[in-house]
Amino acid sequence: MAVTLPQQAVAYEVSVGTASGSRAWRRFALNPAALAGMLILLVVVGAALAAPWVVPHDPAKQSLLRRFTPPVWQTGGNAAYPLGTDQVGRDVLSRIVHGARISLLVGVSAVIVSLLVGVTAGLVSGFVGGKVDTAIGTVVDVTLSFPQILLTRVVRAEVMALREKEFIEAARAIGVGRLRIIFRHVLPNTVSSIVVMSTLQVAQAILAEAALSFLGVGSGRAYPTWGQMISLGRDFVTVAWWLPTLPGLAILVTVLAINLVGDRLRDALDPRTT
Amino acid sequence: MKRRLPGLVVLTLLGLVAVPIGAGAQGKDTLTVALPSHAPTLDPHMHFERVGILVNINMFDSLLHRSAKLEFEPSLALSWKALNDTTWEFKLRKGVKFHDGSILTAEDVKFSFDRVLEPGKEQKKSPQYGNVRAIKEVKIVNADTIHLITDKPFPLLLERVVFFPIVPKKHIEKVGEEAFGSTAAVGTGPWKLVEWKRDQHIRLEAFDQHWRGKPAFKYVVFRAIPEVATAVAELKTGGVDIIRNVNADLMPDIKSHPLTRISTTPILRVHYISLDMRSAPFDKKAARQAANYAIDKQAMIQKMMAGLGRQVATVVQPAAFGFDPSVPPYPYDPKKAKELLAQAGYPNGVDITLHSSSVDWRPHFEALGQMLTEVGLRTTVKMWDPGPAWNKFFQSEGKATNGQYGNWGNYSVFDADAVLHPLYHTEPGGWIGKHYARVEGLDKLIDEGRSSIDQAKRKRIYAEIQRMIREEAPSIFLYTQNDTLGISKKVAYEARPDEWLWLFAAKPVN
Amino acid sequence: MSAFLIRRLLRFVVVCVGVSVVTFSILHASGDPVALIMPEAPEADRVKLREALGLSDPLPTQFVRFVTNAARGEFGRSFFYREPAFGLVIERMPTTLALTCLAVAVALAVALPVGIYSAVRRNTVTDHAATVVVFLGQSMPVFWIGIMLMLLFAVQWRLLPVSGWDTWPSVVLPSVTLGAFTTPLFMRIIRSSMLEVINLDYVRTARAKGLSEWLVICRHALRNAALPIVTVIGLQFGLLLGGAVLTETVFAVPGVGRLLVRAIVQLDFPIVQAGVFLLAMIIVSVNFLVDVLYVYLNPTIRLR
Repeated sequence: MAVTLPQQAVAYEVSVGTASGSRAWRRFALNPAALAGMLILLVVVGAALAAPWVVPHDPAKQSLLRRFTPPVWQTGGNAAYPLGTDQVGRDVLSRIVHGARISLLVGVSAVIVSLLVGVTAGLVSGFVGGKVDTAIGTVVDVTLSFPQILLTRVVRAEVMALREKEFIEAARAIGVGRLRIIFRHVLPNTVSSIVVMSTLQVAQAILAEAALSFLGVGSGRAYPTWGQMISLGRDFVTVAWWLPTLPGLAILVTVLAINLVGDRLRDALDPRTT
Repeated sequence: MKRRLPGLVVLTLLGLVAVPIGAGAQGKDTLTVALPSHAPTLDPHMHFERVGILVNINMFDSLLHRSAKLEFEPSLALSWKALNDTTWEFKLRKGVKFHDGSILTAEDVKFSFDRVLEPGKEQKKSPQYGNVRAIKEVKIVNADTIHLITDKPFPLLLERVVFFPIVPKKHIEKVGEEAFGSTAAVGTGPWKLVEWKRDQHIRLEAFDQHWRGKPAFKYVVFRAIPEVATAVAELKTGGVDIIRNVNADLMPDIKSHPLTRISTTPILRVHYISLDMRSAPFDKKAARQAANYAIDKQAMIQKMMAGLGRQVATVVQPAAFGFDPSVPPYPYDPKKAKELLAQAGYPNGVDITLHSSSVDWRPHFEALGQMLTEVGLRTTVKMWDPGPAWNKFFQSEGKATNGQYGNWGNYSVFDADAVLHPLYHTEPGGWIGKHYARVEGLDKLIDEGRSSIDQAKRKRIYAEIQRMIREEAPSIFLYTQNDTLGISKKVAYEARPDEWLWLFAAKPVN
Repeated sequence: MSAFLIRRLLRFVVVCVGVSVVTFSILHASGDPVALIMPEAPEADRVKLREALGLSDPLPTQFVRFVTNAARGEFGRSFFYREPAFGLVIERMPTTLALTCLAVAVALAVALPVGIYSAVRRNTVTDHAATVVVFLGQSMPVFWIGIMLMLLFAVQWRLLPVSGWDTWPSVVLPSVTLGAFTTPLFMRIIRSSMLEVINLDYVRTARAKGLSEWLVICRHALRNAALPIVTVIGLQFGLLLGGAVLTETVFAVPGVGRLLVRAIVQLDFPIVQAGVFLLAMIIVSVNFLVDVLYVYLNPTIRLR
């Protein structure tokens, strides 16, 4: 079955080749943008992991007396609540730190699920070819509006390109089983694309969760995601700017960091952009 | 050819931009109101949305009107009187014109009631049927006189008639119901329909021959703006002149803006948490009373509502007929709450879940949950999106255990029955009472109250009811609220105690 | 060539059927719509309504009815609006499409100069700065960008209307908001496509002949970028429509997005079916067109 061309062109654009390891790493690490990104991510992940011990207050504790306290640098601010409080007096900083945990969890779980589905489908599709390829391709087309599907295509394109490589031919010639070929030879070579794509997709998953919260899908949780914090605070933006803006900044910084890292990772591993 | 491609693409893009360059007219003669959405139809009998009612009252008249002081005023009926326990007589105003020029007759009045009552039909089309179900027959006595005959004495008849728009029989028969509800809506009200772009705007134009005279504004536009922040922004920049349901926390912002102000007034709308009496812990009276002592109502009113609310002893509102001021409200006493909870068998507290679909009041819901938690009723608050899933869960399946936080506006009927029946009647059942409330003897009293037109007798019955439910505590009793509008300083209009937007009273400020 | 097209057409049809099946099954799995329309009615009334709506027939019958009706544009009447669902969706579709196209135009208008410049002046401070700035747009939730822009341009500086979709100025903020979100991907594509050809022989020849640098770039290198851009527009269309929903809510734009979201929450089956079906058709058609366009623009691609 013919490879669908435009998609392949893009998949190739996005995919990475097999540049040598240490040279790639050096190129990546020396880039200031990537370094900044990694640093930010370290902080975010650190906050997420250490949340319960690091936060100054219980994120669910309300106080009607302390409603709408502005951040500490504004008049009326209070050092005990550095980023202010919300409409029922809960500490914004504590909620943002806990939000890192939940938001990252949501983002990563979404991607893990899509990884399992996408990589498996891509591997099978590309390697087996024929009718199975057509069937999977059609199913993929049906759900094309979801970005995760791009991953399936990328892996498939990779696999098809690799399939023609000589060492695979040689392995088959001496009769190595198909499954072994897939796992020992093909898969490792696609890992770099998968890593890059998944990274970028965690970012998209975080943004998607924020969008869904905005549209009203969600019940009351003790520990909200950043998206839910924006959704809860957006009506008050003119009297308490910090309520939707600070979680928004948290999303912005995290997603930006992920994008920078992922993008430079791709550049570093791709032998074409020298 | 390849070179021309970008150009073609650009041209196609431009062509696809089907932007109607409407006359975004915002002149001094236009009054613009922001609503969160539009009702699905302009037909005043075929929906039950507050946003629809607000538009309908400016396009259609009913037999009676209510003044800003809540007194009944003649509208399409010049006078009215009760001939006996079950018959009311209305004398009609002469020479009233519909928007299409035809004259209002008694046939139109009968037609309007019959299309909701649908006598003889089993399945009723109109969602407003329940409001006027008590009317058995509408009789045309002569060209100026109509009788409304009820099957039992119905003390709420006049209240219900205040919002019962009269529609033109011949016109609807000619254009059909669907067109009437969308493009050909015709009534006798101060404004007539010019254009309705669904979920965008409803544009109305002053009706020159309206029987009250011409309104001060030539045009009225109802814009559908779902986002609160957007609506507030529009108010401040002059894009709209009136916004509703202004959150107490947003009031200072609107008050301090040079072009806008606030108008607020107490209304019927009462807040409560109905408790599920079928299961633990609220099957025990002591637990229910404990819940009532746990809430600091004054703090909620002062801190969360900017003082614009009033604590009530039960769910009957101060402005409603039958309100008994001698029934004392539950004070805030967390110590007593803990004692009562221990008495009920929960010395170490108990876990409960409360539900609500009042998304606008979420911060209040969360604060109430915290107060209950502090006395040992460890509350999980669950917020729902209003819609069919919630209706199914809450109303048809009755699964909202252990309770529901809500508010009730009585549909602007200033009578104790309009809140007692839906909240507490169990068989055939009011809205909430059907599943959750189980107070012995209450059904009988409610039925008695609504089947007599002897006002003194009714008052006694409602006093007894209020004492009974204060003691039995089937709900956590909270407070009534205000209706708060954000208004442009260029418009003279004030909020009404019945939550209506009676725009005929609005005038431009010079 | 025609064999390819026929195969693509068949695929197109199969996908359409797939979309129908998915739409039909998801909605019917979410619960009984009759209980949702009239929660308080006695069971007898509900049975009557169920029959009237055709919901008591066996599933395969319902599916066949659904597909044959869909082909005719018949999706039944909306439960909420009581009007034909298809008409309601079609009424709003041009608005959403217009918003999406304008957003793409905005994105291209920014991505083209920035992408070209980035490619030509690679790895300079400007290149890095441009990358970061453009990434900012992709890293913010769409509705957040919208609210910020509204507060700044409409409320604070009063340059543009706050919301609505009825005058030319009122389309600016929504389009820019949605466009900001798409720009980075276009920029990346342009940049890397440019990089691919910028040092190729024929470009070097053109330079050697004395043509101005910019002319060379714009005429020759840019053409190379056209194909991937077109491809990406097709692939990103789904994501764009998602962003359009959020933009429509913030700016009160009367598009399909808003209608669909409310219908989903209210389980208004006819509208959800009509809307999802139509949108899926559009996306699939766009991709099909992209495929055709691709082959047309680059006949040297060999087909296996």
